[in-house]
Amino acid sequence: MGTTASQLSKESLSEYQELTFLTKQEILLAHKRFTELLEKHEKEQIDARVPKGRIITLPELKSNPFKERICQVFSTSEQKDGSLTFEDFLDLLSAFSDSATLEIKSHYAFRIFDFDDDGTLDCADLEKLVNCLTGETNDAKLSSTEMKQLISNILEESDIDKDGTVNLSEFQHVISRSPDFVSSFKIVL
Amino acid sequence: MRRMSMFPNADHTQTAFTEDAIWNEMQNEQQNLLEELAALSTRDRIQAIRDLPMSFKEKKHIRKELELQSSKKSRQFTCLADCSEKLSLFSRKCGYHVKSAKQTLKLWQGAMKSIGGKFGTSVLTYFVFLKWLLMFNIFSFLVNFGFVTIPLLVYKQTPNISQIVNNVPQNVTFRGLEILTGAGYFKYTVMYYGSYSNESLVGYNMQLAYFFTIAVYMVLCGISLIFSMAVNFKNNYVLADSASNSAWQLLCTWDFSVTNEKAVKQRRNNLCVQLKESLSETAQQERLSVSEKLKHYGINFGCWLLSTSLAFGCAASIYYLCKYEIEATKNDNWSLLEEAKTLLVPFVVSLINLVIPLFYSLFNKFEHYSTHRKQIYVLLIRNVFLKMSILSVLCYYWMNKVPAKGSGWESMVGQSLYRLVLFDFLFLMLGSFFGEFLSKWTKLIPRMGVPEFDVARNVLELIYSQTLAWIGIYFSPLLPAMQIFKFFILFYLKKVSLTHNCQPPRRSGRAAQMQTIFIFLLFFPFFVGALSIVAYTAWSLTPSKSCGPFRGLNNSFSAVDVWIDDLKNITGSQWVVEIYNNVIRSEIFYFLITLIILVIIYILWQVTNGRKELIRRLRQQIVNEGKDKSFLLERLQDLQKSIPNKSMKQHSYDHSSGDQSNSNAMVQALLARQQLEEEEKRYSIGGVPVPSEMSNSSSLMQAMLARQLADQENEDQYPMHDENPSSSSTLAQAMAARNRVEDEDNNQYDIFNRSSAVTQAMQARRRAEDTEDDMGDLPHPVSSVMMQVMQARQQAQEDDRIQWMTAPPQNPGPSGSSALIQAMLARQAAQNEYDDGY
Repeated sequence: MGTTASQLSKESLSEYQELTFLTKQEILLAHKRFTELLEKHEKEQIDARVPKGRIITLPELKSNPFKERICQVFSTSEQKDGSLTFEDFLDLLSAFSDSATLEIKSHYAFRIFDFDDDGTLDCADLEKLVNCLTGETNDAKLSSTEMKQLISNILEESDIDKDGTVNLSEFQHVISRSPDFVSSFKIVL
Repeated sequence: MRRMSMFPNADHTQTAFTEDAIWNEMQNEQQNLLEELAALSTRDRIQAIRDLPMSFKEKKHIRKELELQSSKKSRQFTCLADCSEKLSLFSRKCGYHVKSAKQTLKLWQGAMKSIGGKFGTSVLTYFVFLKWLLMFNIFSFLVNFGFVTIPLLVYKQTPNISQIVNNVPQNVTFRGLEILTGAGYFKYTVMYYGSYSNESLVGYNMQLAYFFTIAVYMVLCGISLIFSMAVNFKNNYVLADSASNSAWQLLCTWDFSVTNEKAVKQRRNNLCVQLKESLSETAQQERLSVSEKLKHYGINFGCWLLSTSLAFGCAASIYYLCKYEIEATKNDNWSLLEEAKTLLVPFVVSLINLVIPLFYSLFNKFEHYSTHRKQIYVLLIRNVFLKMSILSVLCYYWMNKVPAKGSGWESMVGQSLYRLVLFDFLFLMLGSFFGEFLSKWTKLIPRMGVPEFDVARNVLELIYSQTLAWIGIYFSPLLPAMQIFKFFILFYLKKVSLTHNCQPPRRSGRAAQMQTIFIFLLFFPFFVGALSIVAYTAWSLTPSKSCGPFRGLNNSFSAVDVWIDDLKNITGSQWVVEIYNNVIRSEIFYFLITLIILVIIYILWQVTNGRKELIRRLRQQIVNEGKDKSFLLERLQDLQKSIPNKSMKQHSYDHSSGDQSNSNAMVQALLARQQLEEEEKRYSIGGVPVPSEMSNSSSLMQAMLARQLADQENEDQYPMHDENPSSSSTLAQAMAARNRVEDEDNNQYDIFNRSSAVTQAMQARRRAEDTEDDMGDLPHPVSSVMMQVMQARQQAQEDDRIQWMTAPPQNPGPSGSSALIQAMLARQAAQNEYDDGY
């Protein structure tokens, strides 16, 4: 709002700086990259949306196994089609930036991993997560017994209240104990 | 944390809620949030808004609301508030500018990104480390150049002095070999200690400048190392999981920054292998027989013996070489051959540094360790030991043998350091050429495949060369300039070598911990060693008689003594002398300081122990709560099974009651959830980093059970209750009870987070859905009851917020389940009656 898509006004720039973890350069770069994704007639449009299909062609997301989930999670679209406005895009970059806090990062990681959007990571989510990370078409795929064992290991590790699912706070607890997470949960344009 | 987690699945609950109720709830939630944010200072508020895990629009909305509120408020105040507002805005703007300026100044950003994109964070740590060291050197160069060299150069420019000082002898010419040896012509430049003067230049005391520049630089280095070490250690070790190969560790550390298609594919394969390994690891451990174990220990012992003796052998050979060098370069005017002879020591040292680690890696292949990490650590320790023994021999030689040679010995040490630094650089280049380029081209040994980038070995090389620079700071103040040049070239060299010849690492992980270890290593043997060498030189060795800033003194430190003596004569600076005599020079002062530090360490140690005990207990408590919960869940399920049978026999009103209890459960679910969110909020405000979360929800569970019981009872005793008077009073009772429960509940609120209430809620909802199925779906408008409940709930919450703010109760007590049960019972009864009336 308040921004024409082709140029960022000074006020909106400072607003973006205030509400995200990004610096001025990063915002300008993000804006440049975003407008490149827009079609010609959309460039003048306020709040233009870039559909998911075009977002995931960005080289930073292209080979990411979670690209579709990332779009879904950061999209504010009513139709839940994973399309992003510029502000959604900034949100995405902010959460994946260097200076974002652990809490923000783990929150979004949880939502990305929560494939069915039900607020907990259950067995199905975990299985999808593992498949997503190891690649489903892989020859060296985990067998079903291994998968079962792995999921039970995961639950054993993290499911503190033993309800068979991993909820947000349990997940954040796990994350707080794996120091590599912050540096690896990062996408820079 | 709370808002988004509350409604990701709001559409499910919508079936049971009217839109209004949800809207109200959300509004209420938002209002709370706004109040909370409004209480913060501007800076904190901005921080807090930024930290909210919401979409941009929502954040903007909240910000606008807050601005509206504050503008209303600020009208009541005068220009003072206005001023402070403007000031804070200004400072914020400045902050953003500084941030973006920093962003622009960041070196090698694009290169770093492309490396991270292909090789992941663990390889990136090498480059980050390199950059970090480069910063050290740039700082050191600026300080030395600014405070020591520039004054000297200015002094030399003064016409009448320049003839005396500029004393490059006539017969010394630039021969070219100096670039390698650092001797000859260079000996008379500002590169080394020897050419610095001891005279004061119009009030600028060269001795003091030299002494304090180096001292301050070393101290600053030490402080920054300790700081980064402490921060890293806290984040990466104290909080980290002890299990090395846990499944989550592997899953969480997926590198989102990797953007290369091939690298991603490889990473996936590697992860798969690692996951499989982690699954089979426990089994493998048990299968080892005694003889196998003995064999492993034998091999390990042999390798240790071999590597240690190798290190000793190297050290001894360097010692004899040094002796030879001292013999060979006895006279002052070196011929070319003599000059070339000085290159022998640095050549051998660098060769050892290049070749022996390769042997160590080879040994490592034969050894068997239970984890990959152990293997890396063993390799690290051996390499560190090797480098330490080489450096200590060299230092012994510099500290004991060279000073005996008489005047200008500092410059000689400086020269040998220069040669070492240079040769180290040349061999690093050669190493990456042969190690990485050649092994790619000659595919003679297909078994080895494309080499991986060995982060540990490469980082150790960096640490080694940095140590040389630190030792050399006293003898050759401009050595950092060379180091800057070296690191700069090295960055590009390694980058090219990496992208062309190496494959991404087969094992992901533990990058952060490795980095901590590197910083620790840099600090502990290496920096501390260098510092003690420099300190020993300054305190105990006699400086050269005829050159250098400290000529004529017993040791460098006595420059300070002389200065203090001078100060005694100047009135008004007596206090400096007093401080010097009574604090710096007194043993009691250091004794007291040591004592205080020891006491503090002891106290902190005790606190740590206490915390550990606390963590253990909390864990135990979670486990117990979990057990309680599963037990109660079972009970609940049993009861649940028995209800449908009974209620099917009941009359038609049962349908409504069933429906009622269904929606009721929904309400419960939502309420429980909300309660959880509340708790979480307090928890996060309190900011107590309790590593585990506690469920206090078993009381809730009990309440559910109780209600279930009540349901049954109600159904059984229905005829008696039939003619009961107005249901509204009972409802009111219920509300009151509920309020009370809230209060009590709150009092027992301790640091534990009742997260499992969510689970409870889910369970309840599931149950409700089950019952709905059982009962068949008769739509029944229950929204009014629900609304009342909600209102009561809100009220209760407001009450308990006030309470909480006035006195945050911290005492963990027994669960207030009885009160809750009462409340539930009462409300259930009320609702039943209400239903009847309906």
